[in-house]
Amino acid sequence: MHQRHSFRFSLLGLTAAGLPLTPAALLAGGVPQTRDPERTASLVTRAHTVLATHCFKCHGGTAPLSKLDLTTSAAARRGGTHGPAVAPGRPQDSRLLRMVEGTLKPQMPPTGALSDADVAALREWIAAGAQWPAAAPQANGAADGRPGAGAPGSARPGSALTHWAFRPVARPTPPAVRDPWVRGPVDAFVLTRLRAAGLRPAPEADRSTLIRRVTFDLHGVPPTPEEVEQFVQDRSPHAYEKVVDRLLASPRYGERQARHWLDLARFAESEGFKADETRPNAWRYRDYVIESFNSDKPYNRFMMEQVAGDELYPDQPAALVATGFNRHWADESNARNIRLRRQEILNDITDTVGSVYLGLTVGCARCHDHKYDPIPQKDYYRLQAFFAASQPREDIPLVSRAELVRHRGAVAQWEARTRDTRVALEALEQPVREKLVRGKRMPFTPEVQDAIDTPPAKRTALQWQLFLKVSPQLEVKDEDIGKAMKGEEKARWERLRAEMAREAPKKPSDLPLALGITDVGRTAPPVHTLAVGVYDAPLEEVQPGFLSAATTEAPQIVPPREVESTGRRSALARWLGDARNPLTTRVIVNRIWQQHFGRGLVASASDFGRTGDPPTHPELLDWLAGTFTGRETLNWSVKGLHRLLVTTSAYRQSSRFEATAAAKDPQNLLLWRYRRWRLEGEAIRDAALLVSGRLSGKMGGPSIFPDLPRGVVTRGGWPVTADPQERDRRSVYIFVRRNMRYPLFEAFDFPDTHEPCARRNVTNTAPQALMLFNSELALGMAESMAGRIVQDAESPAGRVERAYRLAFGRAPESEEREQALQFLSRQSSLLRDRLGRGEKLAAPRGASGGDPAEGAALVDLCHALMNANEFLYVD
Amino acid sequence: MNIRNRQRGERAWATRAHDGVPSPGGEPHVPRIASRRDLLFRAGMGFGGLALSALLAQDEARADAGPEAAGRSAANPLSGRSGHLAARADSVIFLFMEGGPSHLDLFDPKPELQRLAGQPLPASYGRPITAMGVSSNALLPTKRTFRKYGKSGVEVSDWYPNVAKHVDRLCVIRSCWADGLNHVGSVCQMNTGSILAGRPSLGAWVQYGLGCANANLPGFVILLDEKEPIGGPKNWSSGFMPATYQGTQFRPDGAPILNLAPPETLSGAQQRSKLDFVQLLNHRYGRGREDFTELDARINAYELAFRMQSSATEAVSLAHETESTRRLYGMDNPVTEKFGRNCLLARRMVERGVRFVELYCGTGSQWDAHTDLEGNHSKMCAISDLPVAGLLTDLAQRGMLDRTLVVWGGEFGRTPMSEKGIGRDHNPYGFTMFMAGAGVKAGHVHGSTDDLGLRAVEGRAHVHDLHATILHLLGLDHLRLTYRHHGRDERATVNAGKVVEGILA
Repeated sequence: MHQRHSFRFSLLGLTAAGLPLTPAALLAGGVPQTRDPERTASLVTRAHTVLATHCFKCHGGTAPLSKLDLTTSAAARRGGTHGPAVAPGRPQDSRLLRMVEGTLKPQMPPTGALSDADVAALREWIAAGAQWPAAAPQANGAADGRPGAGAPGSARPGSALTHWAFRPVARPTPPAVRDPWVRGPVDAFVLTRLRAAGLRPAPEADRSTLIRRVTFDLHGVPPTPEEVEQFVQDRSPHAYEKVVDRLLASPRYGERQARHWLDLARFAESEGFKADETRPNAWRYRDYVIESFNSDKPYNRFMMEQVAGDELYPDQPAALVATGFNRHWADESNARNIRLRRQEILNDITDTVGSVYLGLTVGCARCHDHKYDPIPQKDYYRLQAFFAASQPREDIPLVSRAELVRHRGAVAQWEARTRDTRVALEALEQPVREKLVRGKRMPFTPEVQDAIDTPPAKRTALQWQLFLKVSPQLEVKDEDIGKAMKGEEKARWERLRAEMAREAPKKPSDLPLALGITDVGRTAPPVHTLAVGVYDAPLEEVQPGFLSAATTEAPQIVPPREVESTGRRSALARWLGDARNPLTTRVIVNRIWQQHFGRGLVASASDFGRTGDPPTHPELLDWLAGTFTGRETLNWSVKGLHRLLVTTSAYRQSSRFEATAAAKDPQNLLLWRYRRWRLEGEAIRDAALLVSGRLSGKMGGPSIFPDLPRGVVTRGGWPVTADPQERDRRSVYIFVRRNMRYPLFEAFDFPDTHEPCARRNVTNTAPQALMLFNSELALGMAESMAGRIVQDAESPAGRVERAYRLAFGRAPESEEREQALQFLSRQSSLLRDRLGRGEKLAAPRGASGGDPAEGAALVDLCHALMNANEFLYVD
Repeated sequence: MNIRNRQRGERAWATRAHDGVPSPGGEPHVPRIASRRDLLFRAGMGFGGLALSALLAQDEARADAGPEAAGRSAANPLSGRSGHLAARADSVIFLFMEGGPSHLDLFDPKPELQRLAGQPLPASYGRPITAMGVSSNALLPTKRTFRKYGKSGVEVSDWYPNVAKHVDRLCVIRSCWADGLNHVGSVCQMNTGSILAGRPSLGAWVQYGLGCANANLPGFVILLDEKEPIGGPKNWSSGFMPATYQGTQFRPDGAPILNLAPPETLSGAQQRSKLDFVQLLNHRYGRGREDFTELDARINAYELAFRMQSSATEAVSLAHETESTRRLYGMDNPVTEKFGRNCLLARRMVERGVRFVELYCGTGSQWDAHTDLEGNHSKMCAISDLPVAGLLTDLAQRGMLDRTLVVWGGEFGRTPMSEKGIGRDHNPYGFTMFMAGAGVKAGHVHGSTDDLGLRAVEGRAHVHDLHATILHLLGLDHLRLTYRHHGRDERATVNAGKVVEGILA
């Protein structure tokens, strides 16, 4: 309690008047009803956080205590058995407030009194009119001429509809604002809000800032000095749009955009857990994502391929690779409790799909009904049921059906030719193997033993899954078979194996393979709601179903004709990809907005639920969602959406500070300036490589392993790539090991790959400084950059100029040039001393001749620029 | 609904599900406004005109601030601060015996096991699932001799004679239990609370809650004896929290921290002069950007990094440690030298204000005595016995044990059933750990396992309970130390955990 009090007083100590107000004076004095929407929204959020935390558990749901349901406005006003709970505008007449204060008994909540701050929040909220988060007029499915019940987005009446995220996307008309600043509808929405708050947008950023910003934003690397110069000199009215179009047309765009998606897909190329084994073909998914963005694949198609590519587009290798999305969970190769592992995997898939596509914390409903959002526990398992038949595969052939048939024919021929040898070999091995397997299967549960023993034709879908999951652990190595044999038997076995070894090269070579998901067959194992989420405590059986809060539509599940599959995931994919889905559409436009503006219109980009952040610009969000999906407008084009956003005046603003605006809107929620940001670890490395002249443009293929700092080892292995040019490829191609993040990236907040990351942390740590200031890696980049500059310019002043242009995208001002020259001469003399002592100096790479101390000083200058804030931040 | 009780009993291995069990007190894992920063970021707009950064600077930073605040706070997120409660301990030294030491042969003598030697596990014990499937194997008696030591008469086996001398300082917890069957999940749980990777480690939570008392050293230090532990760096990761709070591995050879020493072409005056130039550039860039405190934070981070070059090097230098101190830790003997050195380093870290030191003994599952219990444990006990005893002696002599909590244990114990007649399988159902020092009872035995040492029965202490207790001793309430992640206020104890009151002094 002590801390609560100290908190309150320090809060009050800073009120505008600076007077020592008592809490009562401030809070009980009756806060006037406010018309400021921002303020109201925050009061509502605060109060509902308190209500949701302390009250909804009993006063919500299907059977609220005292028949008082506080989850909706209407129900709360109607009240329970003791009368209305709230009297809007009159806190002291509200039962709710009096009971939490303790002035009306029994005091609520019964588990213990609320903190003073929480009570104050409720009081202020009631005084301001006691609005519920969605007190705005309800949109309904029929209002905009769209089909009513049955369509995605046409939710059930009741509490679900009152939350904005579940309501159908209305495409509001942009406000009519006449202002030269307004370049289009987005700006009209933004400016309207700014004006209402008495704010004005910042002036447009200067051209060198703008091109650096948009190039980092869309490519993850800085512009070259030549690109900056060209843009600065371009007098044409559409100079900026030309830059944007050039950037979007370049394959560098897909490499940048893919990394955002890979964060969400919890992409990694190893298993995690103990052994962290490499997944040899996981990189194909990374290439799939890059290629999808570069070819501007419509987002709904992109989404559908990842959820059900194998069912919907079985003939297209890319769609099979796409199913890797649901295969990126960490896995334990020696898990003993197979049934539990299966459930954990299904949970991972359900939670990931829920968070990435639907922007909801569905995982909260795994053990009980969601505490805040209208997601009953049953809905969690209904969603999970779409994936119940999922079967991970590591061997999906990536060729056309015809080629597959040809290949199988060739293999069959080879097999026929080697049949006798193989049969003889098998006859020898079979008994040995059986004996060895007996020991290996011991640790597994009876259920798994049954699955192993059931003849293939009789195995149920679940048994198949268990069997396939346990099989790798039952595999007997050839060498172990050899060890278990002796005498004549062993000699014969070795002869047969030698024979097979001679035949092996004639076997048709393996097809390119992908890892991904298919169904185990045409039927799915039953799915049950699980008591408190315990994997073997089933309650009632459930069928696949969409979130009941978002739609009343039932999935149309039709098994596909061409593949042995249930068709469940296709049904889910179609719902996700439907333009009328209120969640998927808002979620993706918000994610792209977040990329460009540093904060989503909904700041909690993967939590559109009640405890997430409400949208700062709800109409703009809906307008964007509608525009993104509209057939006549963007028609799901992600590139189109980027273009729409980065060409706005809102995006082109300067990031300059403005005290009066900051006082009104310290978090810049209304966008009165551009939000400055720090480069991610990948962009830092790519930028350093680019300015060093070393960045390789090679795309795709298996991942690379650049050097690790000395002393860093990892169990999964890190076979350093031999070719130095290969090591200088873009960061997106660096191998992603689950148990050990590449150290530079780890220092700069690369997310953990065990779950989706919607927005990276941004930290400022000493290890980052050590990484950039002391590592061989950074120094090596500086040596390359210096080597390049030595080629480009002769005089010290020319070199300083070039270094600034490369690193910061601008020329040094005269004072800066002087300071840099002074640094070079001071550093040269220090280095000359070192040289005199016979110590080794750094040298510009690839440059011969020249004074060694001056060369080393230039390396230091380049190294310093790469460590500077101006290099790491984007204005 | 009996699932919950079953969960705590037979379902020890039902792992993730455990995470979902509402805690005994009925505390829902729900958001609550827990700090100024939290309130301001969730609701602060209502107070327009508040000096946000001034408040943040005073913030105890114990609740979620989200990426925005984490990155943009003016305050140093690692500055030292106090917790929710009066702290009994300032620091923790966690001696992690990796691989799973056998409680049955060290701290938990079982006459019944000797009596039933060679017989199968009685049917009344059920068929526990184990890593190697030993539930039908014969019971393996211990070959060790147990003796009562000290005034307290707590029993210790002859494998730990030096630790035994400290028995009146120890609080032996015989009723620990965990959820994982395999090493990786169990090591992960002992560190992070969950057998599935991705959560912040306990040390990270402590840094988040308390910061570091020494501004020139990391607050959470990892010392390894050889290779990396099973699961690698994710065991000291900050999970979904900012990287600021993750553990820093101090390396045995060369510079103790990654990149602490500059390359050979960069030295003293030259490096400082270069850093000065970087800061000159930064100050220039900062003009007109004063509102953006992240830029200052970076300037400070560089200065800290520079100071760490000397402070961290000094912390690991044993130049001023006497011969007798070295001998105390067994540094004069090749068997105990390596772990002894780490124990001594741990004392030095704690002396310098490091909050949480975790040192592994036997990294890479070296205590994992499946097939040769005698050989394996003879070796591992010889490696660890003297250094652990030396650490306790040294801390006590220096008056540091009162404010330092020492924790000893592995990720699980071992089965009473034999493996191949000479080893023991993993046993997460019941095992022993001990604590010593700040705030815990001395010369005390807490809880018990069943007659065969298979399952914890009395005073059961799950990993979450142990974590709650460690936090409690540091002055942190595990129910209030929360971090908002994906719509939930996450805790170090996931969704369970109760302070083990019985061991508090």
